[in-house]
This record gives sequence, structure tokens and C-alpha cells, in this order.
Amino acid sequence: MENERQEILDGLLEVLKTVRTIDPEKLVGVTEETDFLTDLSTPSTELINIAAKVEQKFDIEFEDEDIDRMGSKVKDVIDLIIMVKERSANK
Amino acid sequence: MIVAGRKVAIVGMGGAFPTCTSLDDFDKKLFAGESLIRNWPKAAAYDKQIRSMVAGYITEPEMNLEAIHPVPETEYPETYVDHLGRIPDLNLATADLGCVWAMLGAQESIKMAGWSKAEVESEQTGVVIASGGGGNVISRHAWHAFYELGKKTRMAGSHTVDRAMSYREAANVSCLIRNKGVCESIISACATGLGNIGYAYRLIKFGLQDRAITGGVEGTALETFIGFDAMQVLSKGFAPEQSSRPFDIKRNGFVCSFGAGIVALEEYEIAKARGANILGVIDEYFNNSDGDGNMFYPSYDGQKRLWKGLMAGGNIKPDVVKVHGTATPVGDILELISVVDTIGEEGYHISAPKAQFGHMLGAAGSVELIASLLMLKNQKVLPCINSDELNPELENFQKKDGWEGSDKPAAAYRHLISQETVAKEINQIVCLNYGFGGTNSAMSISRDDK
Repeated sequence: MENERQEILDGLLEVLKTVRTIDPEKLVGVTEETDFLTDLSTPSTELINIAAKVEQKFDIEFEDEDIDRMGSKVKDVIDLIIMVKERSANK
Repeated sequence: MIVAGRKVAIVGMGGAFPTCTSLDDFDKKLFAGESLIRNWPKAAAYDKQIRSMVAGYITEPEMNLEAIHPVPETEYPETYVDHLGRIPDLNLATADLGCVWAMLGAQESIKMAGWSKAEVESEQTGVVIASGGGGNVISRHAWHAFYELGKKTRMAGSHTVDRAMSYREAANVSCLIRNKGVCESIISACATGLGNIGYAYRLIKFGLQDRAITGGVEGTALETFIGFDAMQVLSKGFAPEQSSRPFDIKRNGFVCSFGAGIVALEEYEIAKARGANILGVIDEYFNNSDGDGNMFYPSYDGQKRLWKGLMAGGNIKPDVVKVHGTATPVGDILELISVVDTIGEEGYHISAPKAQFGHMLGAAGSVELIASLLMLKNQKVLPCINSDELNPELENFQKKDGWEGSDKPAAAYRHLISQETVAKEINQIVCLNYGFGGTNSAMSISRDDK
């Protein structure tokens, strides 16, 4: 479980490095508690781009409602990825 | 309406020009008589799907930019990287290629104007910029992903609106420079470039703004090019540098080009008081419509009325008439005759800069205004390259019943159209541009000291 969350965080960081509107220096020391909006100063319009990139990176597809409910912290995105993965495994 | 005593000065300019590394390079190449037209590999890659293969295009690396593509890779430019660090990433994220050029042109213009941060960010500073086409490169990928690939809307990203909306250039420049005055676009096909500057001129002349960053843009886009290619109106069958041939008897269409021309306008007395270098003074601007119900065909009557409107406002006696001169079969000679029938057959030269850099669509009017400012600076008329032979016979429209214009063929006006650069005293230049829909624009500019 711990490993899985770390792997997802690492993958998420790879995604975030491709988002030009996030200052790369702010990605040093990102934890699950890091907030995209307040800590990384991510423009709110960019969250949807991050979600789309995450779908491609992790080969998953979010429901629209998943994204509507998604919080702005890194752990929220990790939770969502795990939930969607489990959901598709149970189908 | 016009506020008595207010005049408008041009105090800065910049932009993006095919094959040129800078405004100085553009200046140098133009007055050396060079052509900026090249074979376009991107068009050639589509082989027989495309009829014309030449263009005045600008690539991303030529502007020290890099397009970032998504993974897995497609042609879609997800965003741009500015390798010279001129534009912040946050601004690049909301820009298509033309917007990036507009922002660079705005920065250059402001630097040349010497405006302070407070002046730029003032409520008295406006931004009036547009392009002729939509954000076609961005829209194509968004639509393809949704309609053809059946993807969620979000797969196109969250910037398809700001990167493709009609007034994206004005919006992006305004967000970059943080002016607090007007932010608008005037869109009028190939008259767009001059139309935006004309509108900005009026904002200052009418006392609504003191300064404006204004101009026209057309970002490199094969998506835009193919629409004109389909109409069979693009030049075909010549070497690239010989493809754009205004007035020449063998002309068979225009060369589609891309670029950006941005200028800084300022109320004359304010500019003068702070010791600004005044590149030119706008004497007058006038625009109208043909009113004949024809989307494409140029109108002698519309152009004559355009001149009448321009001349009603003041002393118009140009040393150079910078024509629209696209090198389409009908337009050039009809325009030539509307000029000679208005201001006579002697005492000025005709300049058709599209001969050197093609037709930049929404950027045409503004880049050609910059070319005209360079003519004022250099006191030289640009050469109308490739105008090798003018028709010694009358045009078909001159043979029609009811034709009231000149009954002389184009060759009778050879003395007005030089294939070489002409050095002479140039105090005033009239700039003309027209667009689909029968829209016509005219602006007269003069040297400050005359």
C-alpha cells in the first residue's frame, strides 16, 4: 500500500514536471499534503490538464463526477487514482 | 468624435517576419530587394493534396520558441517554451503561436517607445490587436480528439478557448503588459492589421486613450493556408522568390504568408513632451465598404470612395502609395487605376511590399505599415520585385460598358512602379488594405518634421 502510493506520487511528479505553469523549483519536496493551488500556485484552469495527463500516464479514465469531487491536494489525486484503478479492476 | 488639437504619433514597432531574426534584419532584407518567400516543407509533405507549395512562413525555432507536444506525441502544440525567457510560462500557456508573436511584438514596441511601467499599466493605455483567422491549429486538434477519436472534452486541455478565441492576441498581450484601458479586437479579414491600428488611432484621436499597443497577426498555420489553396487563389508555378508578382502580367495568385506587426501609438503632445522618438505621425484614417454585395471582387467605386473619405480629413499628397497589391489577376490593376484616377499619374511611387514577403492576411496591414515606416526612415521606396512586365493591353473590366475609369493599360503606369529601390524625399505615405466582404481601409502617415 505504502509502496503503491509512493509509486503513484513518483508518477504524478513526472506528470507535474511537464506542466509548464508549475514552477519546477516548487516540485522539490512535494508530499501528499502539498496543495496544488496554495502550495504550487497552479492556475485552477490547469487542474483539468493535470487530470487528463494523469489519465494518460496511468492508463485510466476518470468519470466526470470523479473530477468534480477531486480536492486540490496531492493525496486527493492519489486517492482518486487508486479508487479508479480498483473500480476498473472490479468491473 | 475628434478632439481638436489631438494628434497621434507612432513611437514603437516590432513583430515577427519570415526569415528575419529581428526588425533590423527585416529592414535590411527589404531594402536589399530580397524575397522572404520559401518553399514550405510542411505543405510539400501533403504532396498532391495541396496545390501551392510556397509561403512566407515562420517556424518556432526561428523565433527561439519550442512547441511542447503531448505524450503520446501528436502535432498538437500543448504549449510553447521561450528559449530566450522573454515571455513567462504562465502567459505562454494561454497563447497560440500568433499570440506569442504578438506578445513579443508588444514588448519590442514598448521598449522602443520607452514607456514606463506606470504608463504601460495605465487606464489610458489600450490594446487593440487581432488576426484574420481563428485559432485554427488549436481548434483542429480539439475537434479531432472529440469528434474523430471520441475522447472526453478535457483531452483537448483547458486552454482551447483562450488559445483559439477571436480576440486571443489582444487578451494575451493585455494579460502580459497589464494595461488597464481598452482591450479589444477589430476583425476584418485582410484589412484586419490596418483596421486595428485605425481603431486604436481613433481611440487616441477621440480622447478615449493616450496610448495603444496595436496591430495584426497571423500565426503560421497550414490549417489557414489550405482554405486559400482550395480557392485556387494562391501563386503557382514560379520559383519561391519569384512567386509573389504584383502587377506583373504573369501573376496568377498571392503567396500566403504569416507574421505579426505591432506598433505603439501615443498622443502626439504627450510623446513630444517626454522626448519620444517619433517614427511617424498618423494624418488620417478612413474605412468603408464596397456596398455592392460581392464578397470577393474588388470595387473601383468602393476604393474611389475610400480615397475621398481619406482626403476629406486633411492634406493628403503622398510621395508613396503603399497598395494592397496581392498579385491576384483582377485586384492589382483595378487598385492601380483607382489610385491614378484619384491622385493623378505623376509625382509619387507605388509600393507593393507583398512582392517581397507575400500576403500576411490579418497581419498584412500592420506589417506593411511597418514597412512604410521603414520607407519613411530610410527615405527609400521599396522595390516591386517580380513586376517584370506590365500588361500593354486593357484589362477586361476596362472594356465593359459603363467603365468610367482610366482607359490606359497597366504598362502606361510603369514609371510609378519601380523594380529597384528608389531613394527620394518621402514625407507622406498612404497605406491601403482591403478584405473579403468588401471592406476597405486607408491610413496616411507622415514624417514628424514635415
